Amino acid sequence: MIDVRELSHAFEIGKKEKKTVIPVLEGVSFSVEKGEIVTIVGRSGSGKSTLLNIISGFIKPKHGEVWIHGEKVSDYNEGKFADFRLANLGFIFQSFQLIPSMTAYQNVELPLILKGMPEKERQQKTEETLKRVGLIEYKDHYPSELSGGQQQRVSIARALVVNPPLILADEPTGSLDSETENELLQFIQELNRDLGITFLIITHDEKVAAIGHKTIEITDGRVMEGVLA
Amino acid sequence: MNVKDQFRFVRQNMKKNKTRLFMTILATAIGCTFLIVLASVGFGLHKSIIQDVMEDSLVTEVQVHGKEAGEGNFQGIKDEDIQHFQEITGVKAVTRRQSLQQSPIFKTEDYTAQSEAVSAYFPEEVKAGFELSEGRLPEKGNEVVVGSSFADGLSLEPKEGENAFNEDGTIKEELAYKGELVGKTIEMEVIKMEDGKEIKKSIPLTITGVTKKPSKEWMQIRTVFISEDIFKEVEAFTGTPGGNPEQIEGTPEDNGRIYDSVSLYAKDVEAVTGINDKLKEDNYMVYSIVNEMRQINMVFTILKIGLLFIGTIALIIASIGIYNTMTMAVTERAPDIGIMKAIGAHPKTIKRIFVLESSYIGLLGALFGTIVAYGISYAVNLALPLVLERVFEEAPPEGLMLSYIPWSLTLISVAICLTVTIFSGWRPAKRATQVDVLKAMRREV
Repeated sequence: MIDVRELSHAFEIGKKEKKTVIPVLEGVSFSVEKGEIVTIVGRSGSGKSTLLNIISGFIKPKHGEVWIHGEKVSDYNEGKFADFRLANLGFIFQSFQLIPSMTAYQNVELPLILKGMPEKERQQKTEETLKRVGLIEYKDHYPSELSGGQQQRVSIARALVVNPPLILADEPTGSLDSETENELLQFIQELNRDLGITFLIITHDEKVAAIGHKTIEITDGRVMEGVLA
Repeated sequence: MNVKDQFRFVRQNMKKNKTRLFMTILATAIGCTFLIVLASVGFGLHKSIIQDVMEDSLVTEVQVHGKEAGEGNFQGIKDEDIQHFQEITGVKAVTRRQSLQQSPIFKTEDYTAQSEAVSAYFPEEVKAGFELSEGRLPEKGNEVVVGSSFADGLSLEPKEGENAFNEDGTIKEELAYKGELVGKTIEMEVIKMEDGKEIKKSIPLTITGVTKKPSKEWMQIRTVFISEDIFKEVEAFTGTPGGNPEQIEGTPEDNGRIYDSVSLYAKDVEAVTGINDKLKEDNYMVYSIVNEMRQINMVFTILKIGLLFIGTIALIIASIGIYNTMTMAVTERAPDIGIMKAIGAHPKTIKRIFVLESSYIGLLGALFGTIVAYGISYAVNLALPLVLERVFEEAPPEGLMLSYIPWSLTLISVAICLTVTIFSGWRPAKRATQVDVLKAMRREV
């Protein structure tokens, strides 16, 4: 499903002579099989978020390759990656990233609008997904009117609505309390089990890491040998 | 993302800052109104002048005023020229008239009138559109047709010391002729000067018809259309060409009939240019309204383009407001743009949404601007005659239109408005596509 090969990345800070290069990832390679839940753990600043952002196409890597679904996505331009994301990837963010001026329904419907799906079909699909995450009765609520857990479920519904084979999650439980966190993790496992969705989750939380079929530890931009479970 | 959803999206976004949106649309509307009203002055004056020119003459008419005979010499139009004109392709009729070189006095019963007498060739006049309101065309040499206002010139002799005319120049009611004209016998009194003495001759004529009233009410035709026989009779009496009462020194020898007024009538407007060119090629001096209109049109086209250009400047100023509004919108919505891009919105879709938004502002501005412009144009045309009458104490020319908004002007203005607004929204829209997803989601934009 995902094949990361010799991925290296560095950030450049400052201008011209004062430019400083800070290496973030160095020769990272790993793969994720279809139907797996893979968690990437590491301390703050270890490069795990940069790794996820590169896989998501938000950052272009300096070296190395990223293959998803047999396609070398690291060579894609912005437009092509956008189309690829819309068709193949779902996202769950730590801070939910819902559009505040849109209701829960509208937030979930958004990817389908971008896909150009007809309104009737879109309505059915959106309501179905909201039912799945247990939020159908909150469909007309704005994000500010929902709890953290509910917002994250809207965010998951938005990721699920296009039936992506792969969901990338960046600290999905980072903004949730312990009880909601458990519920969410259970839900992720359910989706993986029932729908066969592959998850790649970035976390520093052991509880989250524990649901992974495989865990990759990143330290100082490198994958630690021998810690793959 | 389909078009319907894009519009829905745009409308949703526009509702976020209604005051700013209103002010931007207002600025665009004012710019558009200014553009239309300014250009409408050019269109209005053009229309008024063209209408004025068109009312005075026929579009298919080509007047021939003579022929250049080389070395600056001028030659009148003769019968051989008429024959040549009739052979030109596209010519429907060739009318020729000769005016009597004196104004005879016409008498019927006790009524008299002094009018111009003209000899015309009726078969061609009829082909050119000559019409009678009553009676028939002359068939005999002593039969005549009179102008539609001929009767208005007939009056009884006023009593001594009295004036026959009212203040407005019309003949007093009690002196005016009220009877029928067709069938009446009139005496045409012509004169000649011999040894300083005036010798009169009276020729009896029968009126067989009256010409149709011209479309312009103020036009008065009092001409008497006499036959060629009568014309020759007058010439024989005076012994001068054209029946001039006196022999004028330097009058050229009579080398045949010379017509005073010759007009060619084309089969249609398209044929006028060809006839015109042919006559010019043959050294004839011609005048046609089509030529004049071509020149008028050229002058007004330049004027209209100039006015549109000035008006566009106003729109460009308004577009700065749109640029500002769109830039603010992109900045405010950067987090939303970031989220949309993150979940798979194509940069082109983002750009299209913002360009559509600025077009929407332009379209609304153009719509309101056009409505207001129509209102102003209507008000100006309504108020202008009153103002002119007040200021100059004189009625403005009939049909004067200071402002006229044809459909073409509305379409041009809306197109300019849309182009300017799309152009001003283009850069902010491009900026929207360059929003960094990660920075936007961290609310760092």
